[in-house]
Amino acid sequence: MKLTDAPIQRKLMSVIILSCAVVVLLMSAAFILFEYYSFKKSLEGQISTLAETIAYNSSAAIIFDSPQEANDILNALSAEKRIVAASLYDAEGKLFAKYPIDLPNISLPVKPGVKGFRFIAGHLEVFRPVVQKDATVGTLYIKSNMEAMYIQLKKYMMLAAWLFCCSLFVAYLLSRSLTKTISQPILALEQTAKMISDKRDYSVRAVKFGKDEVGALTDAFNNMLTRIEVQNAEITSFNIKLEQKVRERTNELESANIYLKQQNDFVETILDSSAHIIAVLDKDLRFNSLNRKGEELYHTKKEKVIGKSYLDVFPESINSPAHLDIQRALRGEYVHNTVSRSAVIDGYFENYFIPLKLGEEVYGVLILSHDITDIMEANEKLKELNNELEKSNRDLEQFAFIASHDLQEPLRKIHIFNDMLAENFHDEQNMRKYQAKIDQSARRMQDLIMDVLNFSRISKSEEAFTQNDLNLIIENLKNDFELLITEKDATISYEPLPVIPGIALQLSQLFSNLISNSLKYNDKKPAINIATHFLTREETKANKKLNPAIRYVQIIFSDNGIGFETKYSEQIFTIFQRLHGKQAYSGTGIGLALCRKIVENHQGIITAEGQVGVGATFTIILPMGNL
Amino acid sequence: MRTGISYIILFNRGLKKACAVFFVLFLFNAQFSQAQTSSEYQVKAVFLYNFTRFVDWPATSFESGNSPFIIGILGNDPFGTYIDETVNGENAAGHPILIRRYKTVKDIDHCHILFINSTDAELIKPMLAELKEKKVLTVSDANSFASLGGIIGFYMENNKIRMQINAGAAKAASLNISSKLLGVAKIL
Repeated sequence: MKLTDAPIQRKLMSVIILSCAVVVLLMSAAFILFEYYSFKKSLEGQISTLAETIAYNSSAAIIFDSPQEANDILNALSAEKRIVAASLYDAEGKLFAKYPIDLPNISLPVKPGVKGFRFIAGHLEVFRPVVQKDATVGTLYIKSNMEAMYIQLKKYMMLAAWLFCCSLFVAYLLSRSLTKTISQPILALEQTAKMISDKRDYSVRAVKFGKDEVGALTDAFNNMLTRIEVQNAEITSFNIKLEQKVRERTNELESANIYLKQQNDFVETILDSSAHIIAVLDKDLRFNSLNRKGEELYHTKKEKVIGKSYLDVFPESINSPAHLDIQRALRGEYVHNTVSRSAVIDGYFENYFIPLKLGEEVYGVLILSHDITDIMEANEKLKELNNELEKSNRDLEQFAFIASHDLQEPLRKIHIFNDMLAENFHDEQNMRKYQAKIDQSARRMQDLIMDVLNFSRISKSEEAFTQNDLNLIIENLKNDFELLITEKDATISYEPLPVIPGIALQLSQLFSNLISNSLKYNDKKPAINIATHFLTREETKANKKLNPAIRYVQIIFSDNGIGFETKYSEQIFTIFQRLHGKQAYSGTGIGLALCRKIVENHQGIITAEGQVGVGATFTIILPMGNL
Repeated sequence: MRTGISYIILFNRGLKKACAVFFVLFLFNAQFSQAQTSSEYQVKAVFLYNFTRFVDWPATSFESGNSPFIIGILGNDPFGTYIDETVNGENAAGHPILIRRYKTVKDIDHCHILFINSTDAELIKPMLAELKEKKVLTVSDANSFASLGGIIGFYMENNKIRMQINAGAAKAASLNISSKLLGVAKIL
């Protein structure tokens, strides 16, 4: 245990005992040191006196060269037990006499040393000159042991140790009883404080022992307790009041909460009842709310999108018009977009992007989307109908043209030849000639009327589709054209062709017209080739006129005929549009128009390419059915 | 031993002088003294000088504070110049030491130490009688010189010069011999 954590009584006792120990130790040390030095001084004095006497007495022995006498003088030292060795040196420093007489020379100094005392290895050594009437005649050396001093010092130390132990014991006994007068009041005070803090009973008071500082502390402590008691009472009553107030406030808040919830529910009901999508995004495009209509149309749940970014929920909408509009709105602009195709679902919307502001700062955007898909579809249908109407209008115009021109021409011829017939009444030969002309014109007129009838019938056809083997159709046509083919020495080659859905008669007519054209408009031996190719999905997608959900077959019909200039590639499909004079090639000008009509009737496409004198290529794309 | 004693004499002089004297001694010893003076007499010369330190003469034996201390040699001089060199510049209790040489007892007027160079007891006895009143420290090589009434007699023992002292004669001559000197001598 650290001293700082020890009880006060122990601290006090420790301080007293420690002080006592230090004092006794210091005193003992001082005493022993003093003893040591005084002993040394006294030994020096004694040895000095002894040396004086011996040196005085030994001068004659040295001067008159009597070692015997010198040894005798030194031998007088035997009375002093402390002297362990002594010697005399003559004026030259040579050993002259020694004590004890049997001491080996090596244990004595070889030469006299410097005059004076020195302590060496527990011994006191002294050199002293031997003087006779002012003349130094030799040197005396005495060596004394100091054992006696050490024994004495040991005794003192033992005494000091005893004194130390006794004084510590006495100090312990005294401090134990004396420190109680200091520690007891403090302990009592501590006990009281502990009792108060444990039981929280502030009515307890500490007992006062005396008028010292602890007494004053006890008084102060008791005063503090009184004040705490008073304050406690105040706090308690204040607490009760506070609790009352909190209860009241809680009630108020609860009713306010109920009202707010009602309001909220009301607003939510309104939003959810709306026929429009209503959504609120914050500055970082996170959904703050989404109404029921939004959930319905986006096939999601409010809980799934709230707090998430619009771009994370609908990644396909990145950089869509709606995304750009939201960004504009977040810059504070009111955006109204009357029609916009949704990037997320298949539909059209009229969108409002309304910035939500707090002061000048935009904190979000309110999105109102009105689903106008139905209107747009109706519009689309209307447009289609309109187109059809326009087309039939054009057809009607063309009919009018036929009426005014093509049909009139044979009629006019009949009229003219009839006049000429009347004038040449007598000339039988001419009459027959004119009759033949009239007949020819009438037949041509009949052909024209037949073709026009065919054409108009096709446009009104509602016949059901059947599966048709194109190979069979081509073979039949080859039979039909057998005479012409033989006459022109023509070849028709084709690779195996597919079976396609359609109206048998129309498909037969389509290829009949094409083959007839190729055989007709040709100066050389006609060579016709029919190839097929199933469109891949990518090829289908690349052609905007095709439906990507349907499989198509491409039929390439090419010949080596007279061809046409590329600029007429669209014009040739127009009814009664003929590029060549009737004189060169016979024809009604309805054939290719009929072809286009048939292909369109089958939801297909027909295009033509040509090069004058080289040939023409017709590309027909027809649907094979759903993928 | 000779040089050792020389050092004893010179010990309390400065090192310079000691060196100089040593040098001088060395030269003379080598060329004259050693040739003329035996080592025995060299030691005895130093002993004579050293007696001045262990014997107290009565103040009445000096005329004044700086009157000389005289060492006399009676008869043939065995020391040669060695003894002069030994005492040269020395003093005894402030009195400069002088060497005097005497042919007969009659020549002696006043001296403090007298070396009697004679071994003949019959000759010595009357000399001693003559000197009785003179407070002179008599010294001699003669056998049983102390017994004859002389104060210090040299004799040889284990090849060493030893002394025999007649304490009575000394007292009669009013001389106070140091107990330390007595300690190293034979007392009669």
